[in-house]
Amino acid sequence: MVSSQTTTQSPSVQSQSAATMAPNSPVPSAAVPAATDTQPPVPSPSEIDFSCRLPLLVLFLSGAVWLLIASAFALIGSIKFHAPDFLAGTPWLTYGRVRPAFIDSLLYGFCIQAGLGVSLWLLARLGQTRLNRRWAVTAGAAVWNLGLTIGVVGILWGDSSGFAGFEIPRYAIPLMFMGYVMLAFGSVVVFNQRRRRELFVSEWFLLAALFWFPWILSTAALLLDASPVRGVVQAIISWWYSSNLQTVWLGLVGLAAVFYMLPKLLARPLHTRYLALFTFWTLILFGTWTGVPASAPVPAWIPALSTAATVLTLLTIIAVAVSFYQTACDRSADALVRSSDQPAVKAQARTRTSALLSSPERLALWFVTWGVLGFIVAGVMRVLSTLPGLSETLGLTWFTPAQSMLNLYGFFSLVMFGAIYHILPGVIGIQFPSTRRVRAHFWLALSGIALVVLPLAGAGILEGVELQNPARAFVEISSATLPFLRVSTLGDLVIAAGHVLFSWTLAELVLKCYRARAVSAYKTATADLFHPVEVKS
Amino acid sequence: MPEPIQPTPIAETGEPQASQLAMPVWLLVLMFLLLYWGMVYFDQHSGWFNTEVYVPYYSLAEVQEFQPPTGGVDLQRGKALFDNVCALCHNPDGMGKPGQAPPFVGSEWVVGPPSRLIRIPLVGLTGPVSVKGQVFTFAASMPPMGASFSNDDLAAVLSYMRQSWGNKAPPVTSDEVKAVRAQIGNRAQPWTPQELMQIPAK
Repeated sequence: MVSSQTTTQSPSVQSQSAATMAPNSPVPSAAVPAATDTQPPVPSPSEIDFSCRLPLLVLFLSGAVWLLIASAFALIGSIKFHAPDFLAGTPWLTYGRVRPAFIDSLLYGFCIQAGLGVSLWLLARLGQTRLNRRWAVTAGAAVWNLGLTIGVVGILWGDSSGFAGFEIPRYAIPLMFMGYVMLAFGSVVVFNQRRRRELFVSEWFLLAALFWFPWILSTAALLLDASPVRGVVQAIISWWYSSNLQTVWLGLVGLAAVFYMLPKLLARPLHTRYLALFTFWTLILFGTWTGVPASAPVPAWIPALSTAATVLTLLTIIAVAVSFYQTACDRSADALVRSSDQPAVKAQARTRTSALLSSPERLALWFVTWGVLGFIVAGVMRVLSTLPGLSETLGLTWFTPAQSMLNLYGFFSLVMFGAIYHILPGVIGIQFPSTRRVRAHFWLALSGIALVVLPLAGAGILEGVELQNPARAFVEISSATLPFLRVSTLGDLVIAAGHVLFSWTLAELVLKCYRARAVSAYKTATADLFHPVEVKS
Repeated sequence: MPEPIQPTPIAETGEPQASQLAMPVWLLVLMFLLLYWGMVYFDQHSGWFNTEVYVPYYSLAEVQEFQPPTGGVDLQRGKALFDNVCALCHNPDGMGKPGQAPPFVGSEWVVGPPSRLIRIPLVGLTGPVSVKGQVFTFAASMPPMGASFSNDDLAAVLSYMRQSWGNKAPPVTSDEVKAVRAQIGNRAQPWTPQELMQIPAK
């Protein structure tokens, strides 16, 4: 369906393309002669950016706040492993409530919110469309945040639904669903009104993701909350929902951002459209069947299907790796560009190479690059933990949380940080106040993720191997993982420090923007006090 | 104030492009190889959508191998019943308890004619009783412990006794138990060993 759309162009667009000479040329600015029909001129990139400012700032800022909240819960939960008495007297801060509150704040508060913001901006930019419904989208963000706040407070209150990754109590789900629909509706309208009809790779991914989430959320809400299915089917639906959110949805949005940022920041064409198409179809066809653990106590065909599908997601991982390598590392790509007969591509390559990247953009590229590596490693870990022969060892150990943390932090969050650092200056119209702080955030994020994921993976392998030995007591094995858990607590602390820097940068940028606007508005409003304008009769 | 008066557009070049090069063929080959592997894996591990097949079993045949047999004598059930009921007096190892119950190991009553053995649990036995030449006397007679057992269960317990602890006698069938039950009728008086010896060995 998507591929057929990419090749069709409506007649009016073809005439417009003819007017702008090259369909693949850089975004035409407002100065480019308009099409022959009555359509208004194509908006310039900065016009598009400014039109998205309000919803993007609300989404990114509230995402940053949720990130801080998530970090606090993560730290509390992590400390409890080696200091069980810590906050043990406070019911709402016990591990069983803090841990789901952490995961849901990170997943629904930051990941989905940042993902929706980045989607909106990407669709507006790639479609060369202004966002006309910014109040509806902003209201959607507010409703989503209200629902999530009620949900997380409900979890702390003790109302968790008990399904991993879907702990939000049932009374908060309708609000979140409504908020999402309002947000996604804005993005779909932007997509529908796009001026550049030809689709770029990222737009397939984003459009699929926009519709994917309401589908899985409504299915989970109907079958787990509204009229719960019986017994073991609940567990199957919960696994299905959780892996569709964390593998497919995060994969779609994260890869859309990667496929946009990589070629843009490197000033090279993405390698290649067909590889990206392959990535897209393998991700949604095979990714959606994954998530049921190999040892699940359900009829054997379900874990067998899930294992086969998980192994097939290797194709997605390999395709992304090849795409990334060919785009970013292979020098022959440059030679190819030079020999290209498309003047636009050649011109782009001449004017901008990665060496000319400004400092903040290079940092954004770093975030995205490490995010891609996180995607690859997390994907391989997912395959390993489901492979027959290994799943018996790695299942039900710390290896699973390590994989999930790497996917959430090491892949998706890193890509989102890169995208936000790339998007924000343009949206606000102000360069970064401090690239040093962004750099510090990068290193803190990277080392924090390493300090969380590596020890947990190590602890998981140790635990899995030792659990095969009947001579060792379970308690003994559990306490052998304590040193690893201590290091991971340190990692949580480092990640939290990075998040503080991220939120600080965002808050400072936003404050600067609105102060500048206030100053300017004040000057305009009071201009005639200082330089009275003669009133013409 | 050093701030810019108005947020200014930040210069930026065009939107990214994707090259139209063909994707590598080996990736497609790999896809078909993995799909083939997936089919084989699913064939071997799915139990073909049978809802009775759970991990760690992968086929219905494997599961059925571990099901209790429906016909014949179930020695595992016999052992479970023996350990729960008979072993209270006769001991799990079948050695009996002094002053309470005679041993079963090598006992001519146990490995002897089923027609006599089956009668004992159905209405009980009162001593003294001689086992392997040794005479055992007890304060109380054996109650009809097996009267409430089904024919299958009683056959299972007795077969277990006849084939455990070194005993090697053919199993007792459920039909034999049924026939003996019919012969006894309403008798509630425990057997004496002398009475039992009158019963033909068949």
